[in-house]
Amino acid sequence: MRRFDYYFRETAAGIRRNGIVAFAAMSTAFVALFLLGLALLLRSELNLVIYRYTRDVEVAAYLTDPVRLDTVSALTKKLDALPAVASVSYETKAEACQRFKAIFASQPVFTENVSCDVIPASLRIHLSDTSLFNQVTTALGCSIQQRSDGSKGLVCTEPGVDTVADYSDLLSRLTAISRVLSIGVASVSIVMLGSAIALIANTLRMGMFARRREIGIMRLVGATNWRIRVPFLIEGLVESMLGAVASILALFLVKILFFDQLRYKIGFIPLIGNRDVMGVAPWILVASALVAIVAGTIGMRRFLDV
Amino acid sequence: MISLQHITKVYRNGVTALVDVDVEIEKGEFVFIVGPSGSGKSTLVRLILKEEEPTKGEVYVAGKHLNKYSLWKVPHLRRNIGTVFQDFKLLTDKTAFENVAFALEVIGKPKHVIDQRVPEALDYVGLGEKLNSYPDELSGGEQQRVSIARACVNRPLVLLADEPTGNLDPSTSVDIMRLLDKVNRIGTTVLMATHDQAIVDAMRKRVIELDKGHVVRDQARGVYS
Repeated sequence: MRRFDYYFRETAAGIRRNGIVAFAAMSTAFVALFLLGLALLLRSELNLVIYRYTRDVEVAAYLTDPVRLDTVSALTKKLDALPAVASVSYETKAEACQRFKAIFASQPVFTENVSCDVIPASLRIHLSDTSLFNQVTTALGCSIQQRSDGSKGLVCTEPGVDTVADYSDLLSRLTAISRVLSIGVASVSIVMLGSAIALIANTLRMGMFARRREIGIMRLVGATNWRIRVPFLIEGLVESMLGAVASILALFLVKILFFDQLRYKIGFIPLIGNRDVMGVAPWILVASALVAIVAGTIGMRRFLDV
Repeated sequence: MISLQHITKVYRNGVTALVDVDVEIEKGEFVFIVGPSGSGKSTLVRLILKEEEPTKGEVYVAGKHLNKYSLWKVPHLRRNIGTVFQDFKLLTDKTAFENVAFALEVIGKPKHVIDQRVPEALDYVGLGEKLNSYPDELSGGEQQRVSIARACVNRPLVLLADEPTGNLDPSTSVDIMRLLDKVNRIGTTVLMATHDQAIVDAMRKRVIELDKGHVVRDQARGVYS
């Protein structure tokens, strides 16, 4: 108990003594971790959009009504045999209807006026290689034709199949956006994490310099290296953890001020919620602990020798 | 207790501090190390604390072979060695009690041990009444007593004193020597580096004289020169 009491007192004294520098370290850690969290949130937002609209499948083959189960199994077998196809799953009308209702949950105009009858059942096809989309259209005998309503689209000769929708283009575009955004924000956050490490290491070094007499005496009377270092390590950890907590709060603020505002305006885009922010929080805490450990190692390297 | 065998120490900058030094110090002895500045007295002290490694030769302290002693164990070695310096090395923002308690606190001794041993140690050095005085409220001699109390509070086997009277006037120095003698009489091996001739002559203890890194004299009941 006494030991914890000792560590606590030493840490508090250290942060008080370093005042402004400790504050600079904390706010840099805050900005760095906030950007890291933002990158993670953007990624989960885009993943959410991708999943909601495509359920991660590149191709959907819409079936004509009424759907016959033997047709479904025959088609599944035929598609599964294609080298381009990784997997095929069947989505019933009821399931499709549920997904539709979920997408437009906040837009009763759509859900109330659209009958589930018009929403087609489909085979959801996962491609092993998206560039081989042609294999699917050829197998199902589809070609681009003028439809009865005047629009152009794929019309298929395979019995039971109405049309085939290719999401791979949309999917790859969304993934590209997601990648560019995440990498951009993440690389800024890495630079910031670097400066957070440097600043925290500097506060630790200043603290050790200010207390070099005490440290000298501790060595003489036989204090272990850990006994000497732990208060400084805790000081670094507290500084980066305070930054982490602030950044998690800021991310919640972003969610409330930005995403929640959008939620009432554009309902058909799925938006991240509290749970996604909570999911990012552990990563931020882990990153802040790593920052503290690296800063501690760098900051105390010069003082490590006996 | 302390055994230095054929020690040669050459610092990285090329300065030769000790040359083939052979010294055996038995448990309970009181030994003066004398010699002019730069003769290698402090290097000897630092070798015993394992603050420096010898370039050649073997160092044994309290039965431990320091050449082969791993670095992470060094703190435990130092708990058996009390140290006293010319400049006292007290923390000015701590009272006499806190300065002595600090030595026990940082090696993880529990509070009840600290509360018992610290007043005992300060009483032993004659400062039982000044537990709560800060270093700048104490005279030089009293400050050195606090540092001796700190060195002895963990009951070390060896007390290393590097010029402990260097900053004190002659009569205060005599008081400090009486105290070191008292510490020696309870069985602590005392090794004192000094160039205070009057003190060495008065005590008539074993004297090891160094000159330019060589042991030029090792005499029981000796005088300064």
